[in-house]
Amino acid sequence: MHSSTSPSERGLTGTRDGALPPGLRKTAADRPGQAQPVPTRDVPLKPWARIGTAVFCGVLLLTAAWEWNARANLGLRAGDIDDSPQAWAEARRAADFAPVAIVGDSRILFDTDQARFQAMTGVRPVQVAHVGTDARALLEHFANDPKFHGLLIVGMADTMYFGMPVIGLGGTAIHNYAKNDKPSQLTGLWIDRWLQNYLAFMDSDYRLSIMLPKLDHGWRKGVDSPYENVWKISEDFPGRQFFMWDQIERNAYLRGHARHAWDGFKGPDIPKSVADKVIARSAEAVRRIRARGGDVIFVRPPSAPQLRVNEQKRIPRALGWDRLLIGANAKGIHADDLPQAQNLVIPEWSHLSRRCAAVFTDAYVRRLVQLTGRLKLRADAPPPLSRADCVPQTIASR
Amino acid sequence: MIFNSLTFLVFFGLVMALHYAPFFSWHQKKINLMIASYLFYAAWNPPFVILLWISTVVDWWAAQWMVRAKAERTRKLWMLTSVVVNLGMLGYFKYGGFLMDNFVSIAGSLGIIYHPPGWDIILPVGISFYTFATLSYTLDVYLRRSAPAGSFLNYALFVTFFPHLVAGPIMRPTELVPQFEEPRQARPNQIFFGLALLTLGLFQKVVLADGFLAPVVEAVYDAHGKMPGMLDSWVATLAFAGQIFCDFAGYSTSAIGVALCLGFAMPDNFRFPYGAVGFSDFWRRWHITLSSWLRDYLYIPLGGNRHGQARCYAALMGTMLLGGLWHGANWTFVVWGGLHGLYLSAERWLRARFKGFTPGRAALIGLALLTFLLVNVTWVFFRAKTFAGAGTVLTGMAGMQAHPAPLIAFGPMIIAMVIVSAILGTHLTMRNTTLEAVIERTPSVALAGIWTALLFAVIIEQGQGSAFIYFAF
Repeated sequence: MHSSTSPSERGLTGTRDGALPPGLRKTAADRPGQAQPVPTRDVPLKPWARIGTAVFCGVLLLTAAWEWNARANLGLRAGDIDDSPQAWAEARRAADFAPVAIVGDSRILFDTDQARFQAMTGVRPVQVAHVGTDARALLEHFANDPKFHGLLIVGMADTMYFGMPVIGLGGTAIHNYAKNDKPSQLTGLWIDRWLQNYLAFMDSDYRLSIMLPKLDHGWRKGVDSPYENVWKISEDFPGRQFFMWDQIERNAYLRGHARHAWDGFKGPDIPKSVADKVIARSAEAVRRIRARGGDVIFVRPPSAPQLRVNEQKRIPRALGWDRLLIGANAKGIHADDLPQAQNLVIPEWSHLSRRCAAVFTDAYVRRLVQLTGRLKLRADAPPPLSRADCVPQTIASR
Repeated sequence: MIFNSLTFLVFFGLVMALHYAPFFSWHQKKINLMIASYLFYAAWNPPFVILLWISTVVDWWAAQWMVRAKAERTRKLWMLTSVVVNLGMLGYFKYGGFLMDNFVSIAGSLGIIYHPPGWDIILPVGISFYTFATLSYTLDVYLRRSAPAGSFLNYALFVTFFPHLVAGPIMRPTELVPQFEEPRQARPNQIFFGLALLTLGLFQKVVLADGFLAPVVEAVYDAHGKMPGMLDSWVATLAFAGQIFCDFAGYSTSAIGVALCLGFAMPDNFRFPYGAVGFSDFWRRWHITLSSWLRDYLYIPLGGNRHGQARCYAALMGTMLLGGLWHGANWTFVVWGGLHGLYLSAERWLRARFKGFTPGRAALIGLALLTFLLVNVTWVFFRAKTFAGAGTVLTGMAGMQAHPAPLIAFGPMIIAMVIVSAILGTHLTMRNTTLEAVIERTPSVALAGIWTALLFAVIIEQGQGSAFIYFAF
């Protein structure tokens, strides 16, 4: 191929050992209005093989030390595979034709034990709930999806469902759904999961850029410092099975921080007019799912009295939950109405402990099968669980 | 697929293994590279590979027929065919919705209510980049700057070669096609240096841009109605200057490193741009392959500086406005380009007015800082999604916000400013040299330590696999 480069430039094509003097390292900016020649890439004269070997060994050592620190000092475990936008997209796709799917915020995400659900009904629900979200956005996403004809369980924390000022992270997940469902994203997800089965340090809550800013303990007034953010509280397993991280139960500092981060779920009272709008939109979403042959059942998992008092103040049950079920003509299961789900262990006041999640799941699934003909209790279903199955004896005996 | 993904690491390992396998001929290796490049692109959205094929085939034949044509008019016709097909696809996918929105707005202002049908078009990744790359092929042939490629395989591989396919550097056929004509294999030194460049690029993207700078930018630019004060507005905008550089230069550095590992040379796309003194200098250092493309195929054909002052200023403004629009289908990008056009015009006028002026060292540093400052003003329009958003930040930067709210925590603010200062300092001190020259002067032990630190930081940052900003362009 011909080009109009000068002979001196033509001599410097391709790659070259040794750094070029700056004046000779030309770019297209130096050659206006002509065909650009093959660029020159100069390789600095260095013992690159030895440097590369040293870097490989150094990184291997540092990574091994980091992994040891993650396991020994931070309490992280290999096999805790982390959640991600891609994992949510994968679950959302799987829910298209699923008989049972779960949407909602982090409470239904932590408080549903999928294995228990499956052992009792023979059906494993597809978990599509998302942390930090208004569950209504996810409900509407399913309402707009003609492929879904199954049973949708909508879990909710009242203040987030009725009064969240923005849709939250679930909205972002929906917005990026198509992007995160692409082959490149999904293959990345599979490789990432495979690696996380062996490496504990690969946890998004312990990234460098998450840990470093936490040194700021509120240095600037009027701004929430990164220290105040929610830290790691869950362990995540295949199928987006979230459970409360056992460190929250065992480590008083981490538990105290998690409680502090919720700030008591304080906030302004939710006006009736706002709740009415939410109920109307929910009713429309339920109607559309039913029109296609699907169904919706709402579930309200428990919260500790320290949060419940503020939740009840901001949106009383009679104003929110009760009117939602009437307005949407839907059935619902409230933790308050399940005798077996009372006084369970809620370490950081918002999500159940891992063992108590199984008890709550057991309780709400037994009620669920009474409310819908879509699920049946298996003949060989395990016997019912009770509070004593998850609450340590010292506490249970009180 | 993106460089900062685990998928790419596996993909790259396989490509390297195939490229260096002794049992493949050079012809077969090129076919392997082309298949790999299609897979690289299809990993986003497989159907869009068809657009690549259309662009490749149309431009190949347009150039072939251009050479065979005897009449100048026929040559022109084939050139125009290539331009219309390429810009037509770009226009439809990238600007269709934008044009329709503007049409509806104008019609509405004239009292005509028009409800267009739903326009739900997905932008094919990197369409702006490969459109410009393939266009340069037919335009160079038309302008008789180069002959058509001798082999369809070499030409098709030039279009699809994965290191530059989706976000540049925008390569010209004369830069890459000759490299496919003879077998190329990198020597061990080139491979190690390529891997070092890949590490540097990933560090810029994963750790600096995504990890530490993006959250600071988002705290102000995505503040949902909260009004930033002077400190927050400036910090967020400076952080964005760092983010956009680390994001884009990070991609280019990674691309150059990846190509080098395969034995191919790619051109520089950035040359310490924040060390620029003046705006013509800035554009010789920032996104060099785009600015030179616009200069060669737009500014010069529009008249350049050879037809008097007025025509020159008009060509400058026209080029920069279109350059702005190239970045995205939004008027904010046009204003960004327009501001750069104004800066370039003002600089041109000042240079003519003060012809004999030679700045001393202090003046040079002052002018470089002034350039950086004014570039930051343009970044506001680049980052803000709306004029209202840009107005909010600019009002904050001017210290005229009536009730400003603190938006950035002090810790992240300090980290961001340390990073931006380091970038600025590096650019100012290295503006007259190259990375390679500095590396050559650095003791090997220090080099190994720095490389180890960068790679370890990339590993423990983990990354979220977020796409590069320029993929959207």
